[in-house]
Amino acid sequence: MASLVSSPFTLPASKADQLSSLSQKHFFLHSFLPKKINNLPNSKSSLKVKCAAIGNGLFTQTTPEVRRIVPENNNNLPTVKIVYVVLEAQYQSSLSSAVQSLNQNSNFASFEVVGYLVEELRDENTYKTFCKDLEDANIFIGSLIFVEELALKVKTAVEKERDRLDAVLVFPSMPEVMRLNKLGSFSMSQLGQSKSPFFQLFKRKKQGAGFADSMLKLVRTLPKVLKYLPSDKAQDARLYILSLQFWLGGSPDNLQNFLKMISSSYVPALKGTKVDYSDPVLFLDSGIWHPLAPCMYDDVKEYLNWYGTRRDVNEKLRGPDAPVIGLVLQRSHIVTGDESHYVAVIMELEAKGAKVIPIFAGGLDFSGPVERFLIDPVTKKPMVNSVVSLTGFALVGGPARQDHPRAVEALMKLDVPYIVALPLVFQTTEEWLNSTLGLHPIQVALQVALPELDGGMEPIVFAGRKSHALHKRVEQLCTRAIKWAELKRKSKTEKKLAITVFSFPPDKGNVGTAAYLNVFASIYSVLKDLQKDGYNVEGLPETAEALIEDVIHDKEAQFNSPNLNVAYKMSVREYQNLTPYAPALEENWGKPPGNLNSDGENLLVYGKQYGNVFIGVQPTFGYEGDPMRLLFSKSASPHHGFAAYYSFVEKIFEADAVLHFGTHGSLEFMPGKQVGMSDVCYPDSLIGNIPNVYYYAANNPSEATIAKRRSYANTISYLTPPAENAGLYKGLKQLSELISSYQSLKDSGRGQQIVSSIISTARQCNLDKDVELPEEGEQISAKERDLVVGKVYSKIMEIESRLLPCGLHVIGEPPSAMEAVATLVNIAALDRPEDGISSMPSILAETVGRNIEDVYRGSDKGILKDVELLRQITEASRGAISAFVQKTTNKNGQVVDVADKLSSILGFGINEPWIQYLSNTKFYRADREKLRVLFEFLGECLKLVVADNELGSLKQALEGKYVEPGPGGDPIRNPKVLPTGKNIHALDPQAIPTTAAMQSAKVVVDRLVERQKVDNGGKYPETVALVLWGTDNIKTYGESLAQVLWMIGVRPVADTFGRVNRVEPVSLEELGRPRIDVVVNCSGVFRDLFINQMNLLDRAVKMVAELDEPVEQNYVRKHALEQAKALGIEVREAATRVFSNASGSYSSNVNLAVENSSWNDEKQLQDMYLSRKSFAFDCDAPGAGMTEKRKVFEMALSTADATFQNLDSSEISLTDVSHYFDSDPTNLVQNLRKDGKKPSAYIADTTTANAQVRTLAETVRLDARTKLLNPKWYEGMMSSGYEGVREIEKRLTNTVGWSATSGQVDNWVYEEANSTFIQDENMLNRLMNTNPNSFRKLIQTFLEANGRGYWETSEENIEKLRQLYSEVEDKIEGIDR
Amino acid sequence: MTTHSLASLHHQYSFLKRLSNSESIPLPPSSLFLHPSPSSSSSSTTTTTSSTTTTFSLSPTTSSSTPTTSNPISFDTLKHHLSTQNFFQADEETRRLLIVLAGEAAQKRRYVFFSEVQFISEADLKAIDELWKQYSNNKFGYSVQKRLWQKANKDFTKFFIKVGWMKKLDTEIEQYNYRAFPNEFTWEINDETPEGHLPLTNALRGTQLLNSILSHPAFEGEEDEKEAEVKGSLRDNGPKPLSSLFPKPDYSF
Repeated sequence: MASLVSSPFTLPASKADQLSSLSQKHFFLHSFLPKKINNLPNSKSSLKVKCAAIGNGLFTQTTPEVRRIVPENNNNLPTVKIVYVVLEAQYQSSLSSAVQSLNQNSNFASFEVVGYLVEELRDENTYKTFCKDLEDANIFIGSLIFVEELALKVKTAVEKERDRLDAVLVFPSMPEVMRLNKLGSFSMSQLGQSKSPFFQLFKRKKQGAGFADSMLKLVRTLPKVLKYLPSDKAQDARLYILSLQFWLGGSPDNLQNFLKMISSSYVPALKGTKVDYSDPVLFLDSGIWHPLAPCMYDDVKEYLNWYGTRRDVNEKLRGPDAPVIGLVLQRSHIVTGDESHYVAVIMELEAKGAKVIPIFAGGLDFSGPVERFLIDPVTKKPMVNSVVSLTGFALVGGPARQDHPRAVEALMKLDVPYIVALPLVFQTTEEWLNSTLGLHPIQVALQVALPELDGGMEPIVFAGRKSHALHKRVEQLCTRAIKWAELKRKSKTEKKLAITVFSFPPDKGNVGTAAYLNVFASIYSVLKDLQKDGYNVEGLPETAEALIEDVIHDKEAQFNSPNLNVAYKMSVREYQNLTPYAPALEENWGKPPGNLNSDGENLLVYGKQYGNVFIGVQPTFGYEGDPMRLLFSKSASPHHGFAAYYSFVEKIFEADAVLHFGTHGSLEFMPGKQVGMSDVCYPDSLIGNIPNVYYYAANNPSEATIAKRRSYANTISYLTPPAENAGLYKGLKQLSELISSYQSLKDSGRGQQIVSSIISTARQCNLDKDVELPEEGEQISAKERDLVVGKVYSKIMEIESRLLPCGLHVIGEPPSAMEAVATLVNIAALDRPEDGISSMPSILAETVGRNIEDVYRGSDKGILKDVELLRQITEASRGAISAFVQKTTNKNGQVVDVADKLSSILGFGINEPWIQYLSNTKFYRADREKLRVLFEFLGECLKLVVADNELGSLKQALEGKYVEPGPGGDPIRNPKVLPTGKNIHALDPQAIPTTAAMQSAKVVVDRLVERQKVDNGGKYPETVALVLWGTDNIKTYGESLAQVLWMIGVRPVADTFGRVNRVEPVSLEELGRPRIDVVVNCSGVFRDLFINQMNLLDRAVKMVAELDEPVEQNYVRKHALEQAKALGIEVREAATRVFSNASGSYSSNVNLAVENSSWNDEKQLQDMYLSRKSFAFDCDAPGAGMTEKRKVFEMALSTADATFQNLDSSEISLTDVSHYFDSDPTNLVQNLRKDGKKPSAYIADTTTANAQVRTLAETVRLDARTKLLNPKWYEGMMSSGYEGVREIEKRLTNTVGWSATSGQVDNWVYEEANSTFIQDENMLNRLMNTNPNSFRKLIQTFLEANGRGYWETSEENIEKLRQLYSEVEDKIEGIDR
Repeated sequence: MTTHSLASLHHQYSFLKRLSNSESIPLPPSSLFLHPSPSSSSSSTTTTTSSTTTTFSLSPTTSSSTPTTSNPISFDTLKHHLSTQNFFQADEETRRLLIVLAGEAAQKRRYVFFSEVQFISEADLKAIDELWKQYSNNKFGYSVQKRLWQKANKDFTKFFIKVGWMKKLDTEIEQYNYRAFPNEFTWEINDETPEGHLPLTNALRGTQLLNSILSHPAFEGEEDEKEAEVKGSLRDNGPKPLSSLFPKPDYSF
């Protein structure tokens, strides 16, 4: 057996010849090694990680010196020095020009000016220069300063000089900076406190983006009033308003007059000098602008009239048949003349044959202009086919406070695809190109994440900081905008759709994988529907099964390849012609065609075409089976076959849209910048110009966001299958019966006997690891008996009530109402104080005079009485909700008129079905009012659960309509996720962690620490190694993020806008325990979505390490000091605890290695983990991106006493996905620790109202019992057929993954799995016949578990598996040939 | 009072702005760039425009599509700069000429909109091109650029790299960024000066202006063997070239 363990693939010893040929085949298919890669381990240069940032390590290296103008001043004029700070660069050229003319033409003063872009102030030296510049400045001007860190820097610097400065003018910015305003007697230092109407205006900003607009309104009306006010005060206020007008007017003329006005009025040296200045020249606040038009228009008809008279363009463009693209522009760019990038987009669109309607607005609310100028006032139809916002901002609110519902309302009315592209703001073009992160994180937060909440798509960086177009990006943007527009214009019969399915891991049994989705049944349902709707789906087979056959079986298979149907053979020459980036792939994959998706001469595209629909199989990464590459590739380019697939879809099939089918494929995980891709980023090149629609699981907003940002997808959510309670089976069921007879007979003298049976049955069910059971035959007192039974009972209840998704979801088939009951019961189990809704359990507990929290705690302890009460409460909840659902549904189980039924029910309170039900239970006196509120809410939820919008939304997207955006997440926590069929988005990354999340985090951390103390002789853990997931933090609004903060003892501090950008330490007294050190492993997705929060964490850790506290009370400091000494670095640098992958790379690859059985020993997996996960984010050099810090990573891990992860939702548990074990370092830590001690491993489970911290082993057992070994679960899966078998196999493979990374899987789990799936002949045959490929993998996995020493079993069992293996091999060969 | 011609608004400073487009290059001394050079203003009849004009017509100067000598525009300044190998000034003058040739509206705006190029006569464009070629030993000029552009399959990035308008960055992946104007460009002819380096048409507003210039009938005869060959090979292979995905802008009005 020993030889097996060390072989790369686990192969049974017998039939060695046959099997080694198999291994050859696998090797050939999945582990193609280009020559170059063989050298990888030795080649230092390719391992070297390049630090993107140079110089100061910040995001920008530019200095304000380019904006400094020092006058020559020959005539001894007084000098006026102006210092300004702005967010965007558009004012810079206008201001420079104004000052230059002043210096040339004015005879009263000479002007010195220096400007700072707000981001530059991060740099220490620049900040010093800024402070120094302020020391002799006369006038300070600031505008749009909304980044808190930097706002505070500005505030500190200006405050010092405020009294001395002649004038301070701050235009819309954070209140802290606005308060600096000062013009003579006019001051805003009271901002937010004064009762005067003027200040009330600023106060109202808290209510929304209306702020900027009311400010504009004020600007328009006030001067007329103020002109006639005599007092000095009014004069100063008037000048402030005029200043704002000049500023918003932005042109060099306006700015010249502005400077004249301010300096002559407030600079003492100019007192008495007569300076003439003109009133501000006002432009339209909003309107339509075109570089060739003689004027701005505020009427779209007038604009189009002018457009029709253009002589420079041809008839086609002027005529009614051209596609029309709406553009949304910022007025400040137009009035300051800083609009080259806008002109570039307009020219590009017109040259490509599209008509443009470029609208602009001066305020921060574009929703009004969008409705006014882009919707026909008479027909209410859109005047455009798609809209591109070039502002980068959310439609309503800009950088200040957003109003997404208002934006969505306007966009729903407009009903066209909505793209939000953006110019660089904080970085120069070169800095952006150099950065592996891509776009600056703050810009990502403001200009990518926020527009997504409006339903904005395609965050394409199209211009540099000084508004120069990036020509290729502009081309990409415009081409895509027109393609989206074409969807609106083309007829359904001519529209071509490429449906793309996935194959993970690359194995024939896996074609069409997607989380929780029955892919082929769904495709079939979609195609049927599209056919009905008028799309050409000629030749569609009669059944979904026939569809599968068509795609995965090649009738003329003749190549040694997965015998998928070959849809197209592409010659190498054709491939090279169609794929401009093909040469770049050669570095990793050699010359085309290579060995993947190739027959040696041509590249092969797998799939099948029906009319205008092509169903294709997306190639895989290509290196899944290659241990060397899994270990060493920081990231690898797509292979030629991958590129050929998309070249085919775009240029040969000529798809109008591609539909990626289900969660998830590999395109969006290809190398490139994280966000804001450039010409050489692979996801951007691959998707080319095809509009991308992506069906995505509603519970996975984080990865959906990656798809959205990196592959420009319109992500349409689908529902995860309806959850059911796991229920009980076999021995567990017997146990539950025994317990119920114990309760009725315990005092009858039979108690002892029944307890004995309970104990022995519990042992048979392997519950002895979860509950401490007395030795058999041991006499125990009546009281102890109750406790033993109570504990077993509690465990049984935990298993029984666990939620699991049953079967797989099919698009277009929403759950029936009765199927939704379990989901509703769980929705009802959560208190929602913010909505005034009490949970069902708490209402019921109150009825019998108990507090539900006490009941939970009692039940956890195994107090029989409480366990029983909790069971009764659960049962009553289910009963009452079922009764309610029954009343609102028809005979077929579909919901009919919830609204009508509900109102009649609610109208006549007496007959409320839940009251009827409860009247027969002990809870008959439950609070009726609270119940009514709860059920009203549940009624709404029910409607949403059963709504069928998934097909509808897809059709909308394909027709070039707007798909309503909505949050992704857990429908139980956040029913707003429903109904599905929405364009999923994440959340405002700066909004987390919320206060509520912080509260929950404290509970979990306290329980974790308690648990660890109990298991470890009362000692606090010194270090906890934990994982941060993107989805988890989105669903819980940052709970696990908050856990880290609470472990090290800091709390987040929110700014005026509720954004979290700062932390402060909690005192040791308040904390009541030492600060616990952490090693934070952020998933690649978390890194992409929450880089600001990584920054925040790093700052927090460094802050804590530098606190002057005793080391025995501050383990962060303790370890950092040790590490600093050992490595000879500063404490601050040693305090590096926030790690992730290198930019643009995801996961430790341990999952791929396990899924493909391509690993030798655990050491290799640990090496993979270390080499891929040791990249740190440094808040002191944020621009450097992720930098390798392996030494510190290893040292920090070596101090860990515990490893820890969170489970966030019931559908995704430990063995459902490979991600959890992929990021588990338990065995690794053991290896790294000096004492070789295995750390404790914990899992927090916050999926139910009663949050739990369990050991990893407990959780693995719970998972196995409720899923893999549970007949309800596997039968549910089997009913989905082909895909179901794969799901079963996946659970077993993931279980082996846990054995490999943590060794926390009990032998009985494999043993039981073997008896369930292999020893049961009937089951075995079903599996083999339904999906032989997946069944083969199942057997292989069993053998692997044994071969690697994770499962000890009889030789008989192993022999049988070996036999089966060759049988299924033959069967597969027989089928294929 | 609320609507103004933005074209006129930008008159005074867009010139300056255009020159300061690079992020890292400080503004050149303003006196040098704020005014057109004395010799060029004397030769021009149309550089001064009233900033109070709020409407304009496209017709007057641009209606002549016949390549005649009716146009009073003088190329003497260009010739002078070129003959003295003052390529920087020659480049400036070329841009100025292009704006003047594109018509009154372009002059007010201070840049040429791509669709105005069609109104420039073949003779004028050819004259400019000839001067460049003549004084650069056929190294510079639009027709030289056109040939290189076609060789690059009309891919502007490839073309920009070829003529040295973009520079390679020192990154792991091969990437290019725009050169900063004017310091990073080559203003003399030597062995290293890339073919087609001048005259410069910047990409501040994308590539459509240059596209229109290079596609102008004046350079029609420049289609070389390479393009014919590519066309042929694509025909053999079936798939359409990239450019066929979108209708080519039609400049034949």
